[in-house]
Amino acid sequence: MKSLWLKCGKIITLFVVLFALPSAITDRYFQHIMVLSCIYVILASSWNLLAGYSGLLNLGHAAFFGIGAYSSALLVIHMGLSPWLGIFVGAAISALFGVGLGVPALRLRGPYLAIVTIGFSEIIKLVSMNWVGLTRGSLGLSEIPPLTPIKLSQNLKIEFITEQNAYYVILIFTILTLFVIRKLVKSEFGLTLESMREEEDGAESIGINTSQYKLVIFMISAFIAGFAGGLYAHYVRLLSPETLSLHETFTVLTMVAVGGIGTFVGPVIGAVFLTVLSEALRFFEEAINFDIRMVIYGALLMVTILFMRKGIVGVYNSLFGSTAEERER
Amino acid sequence: MESLFLQQIANGLIIGSIYCLMAVGLTMIFGVMKISNFAHGDFLMLGSYFAIYTTLCLTGWVGWISAMFIAAIGVGIIGFLAERWLFRPMMLRNADIDVLMLSIGLSIFIANTAHVMFGSSPKMLIDPFRSQNINLFFFSTSLIRIFSFFLSVLAIIVLQVFLTRTKTGTAIRATSQNRNASMLMGIDTGLIFGLTFVIGSAFAGLSGVLYGTIVTITPTMGGLPTLKAFAITIMGGMGSIKGAIYGGLILGVAEALGGNYISMDYKNAIGFIIIIVILLFMPEGLFGRKGR
Repeated sequence: MKSLWLKCGKIITLFVVLFALPSAITDRYFQHIMVLSCIYVILASSWNLLAGYSGLLNLGHAAFFGIGAYSSALLVIHMGLSPWLGIFVGAAISALFGVGLGVPALRLRGPYLAIVTIGFSEIIKLVSMNWVGLTRGSLGLSEIPPLTPIKLSQNLKIEFITEQNAYYVILIFTILTLFVIRKLVKSEFGLTLESMREEEDGAESIGINTSQYKLVIFMISAFIAGFAGGLYAHYVRLLSPETLSLHETFTVLTMVAVGGIGTFVGPVIGAVFLTVLSEALRFFEEAINFDIRMVIYGALLMVTILFMRKGIVGVYNSLFGSTAEERER
Repeated sequence: MESLFLQQIANGLIIGSIYCLMAVGLTMIFGVMKISNFAHGDFLMLGSYFAIYTTLCLTGWVGWISAMFIAAIGVGIIGFLAERWLFRPMMLRNADIDVLMLSIGLSIFIANTAHVMFGSSPKMLIDPFRSQNINLFFFSTSLIRIFSFFLSVLAIIVLQVFLTRTKTGTAIRATSQNRNASMLMGIDTGLIFGLTFVIGSAFAGLSGVLYGTIVTITPTMGGLPTLKAFAITIMGGMGSIKGAIYGGLILGVAEALGGNYISMDYKNAIGFIIIIVILLFMPEGLFGRKGR
């Protein structure tokens, strides 16, 4: 009972700190980094659902992110949809593509799955570059409308142009998404996924329809990634085919691996850590005039996989926590 | 019309032969070690840069011949180091996904280190034939492409002879068929793994020199060859050298025809469409072994 109170207390403190953060950090550039971190937290957590919990190494995740972003932006620009709705419709379209990719990917494992998902993402990228009539090709979309203001009364309305307000709304969405993911992985569904990751044949032998589960998790993960894409599109308000590149997937992969693959907090820590690190390195790069950011990404990824299987979370647990329950967190 | 068609087929076969060369290394590494090396294209890129710097120092044919040797040996050494420090520790772990992610990390690392070292400006490899063209009876092409074609064929024949006619080659094939049984037969599988990786990487380096004659060389050029090599190996069945040869030629011809008759913009998607279709209907590939 006491530990429950302690846990609640910790979470509430965390929320208070997160919501008070923009008042402490007023610099718009830092607030921008905070918003980006939140979006990457959502994206990394969604990738972790596939790669970490289900053992499905999807290397086409940037495509889901991009599909969500482009769909939402195009619907808002051309059909006059409200961005609030557009984000969800975009996510739903992304989920449809997730099912579409899930079907051929069902029977594949390891490198086969990896290469088919890369193929999917490269095809989507080529479409976004060459269907100039719709996506404006490599010029990309610009001046995407931001989230429309919420009217509280005649004079009072909340705009979402500033970084600070965007941070609040995206933070709320991030927390909600993480809550859903938490519920999902703790449920029977999540445990089934983990059993499939550990021993697919075994899971099948006790009557689990692995194909169905894979399809559903592909759909959910694509939905969340598309959702992150929608948030990104209406926050940054610029989109280019670069958003769908393999490079973006590798960034997310590194975040999850460094944070701790297959853990709940791993992607959160990894996304925040690497977003902040890469912005910090940008200053350093300007000082020494070399692009070392991605070199460090690659080195970090290799070191993590060779020496710390569960990333930062794994190191923390082996240092401080030892009970099974704590390890689970 | 007909001559254009034949021209495209010939172009496709020539490019395809270079594809074969880059896929052979990848498929060999996979067949023997069960490692999918996503950094294969980056090894190829390093081969291209080795060639560029060699031809800068030595001109003419001397430069070119030594460029090919230096690229193969240099990338072979890098492959040796990568195998010893990165992939060898992973062999014990038996986790597919870890090896994949490790090689992705290596790929990011190599490409961006090259970016820091060599700069991002595109470079061209100097052609020893000075871009001379040749008119054969039904198509015309540059001499360097003919040269690349024959060199690829030669390299693959040498590899095939090595694998089938020498004792070490037989040991490599035995290890790829059954790791434990070959260990019991007294084969030093650790040595075989290292050797396979070095040979596979050296082939990537050599194909980098030839591939560098048909594209501009940048530090990020490795991405596409990696994907194409994977597409080819999956097409032919992973681990099968024969499959890699057919797969490479098929991809080369399909890209040439698709690029000409369907859409140039989607040329690079053709390989993926083929593999998605192949994996849907024949998951072992064209020449793969059952029960992967």
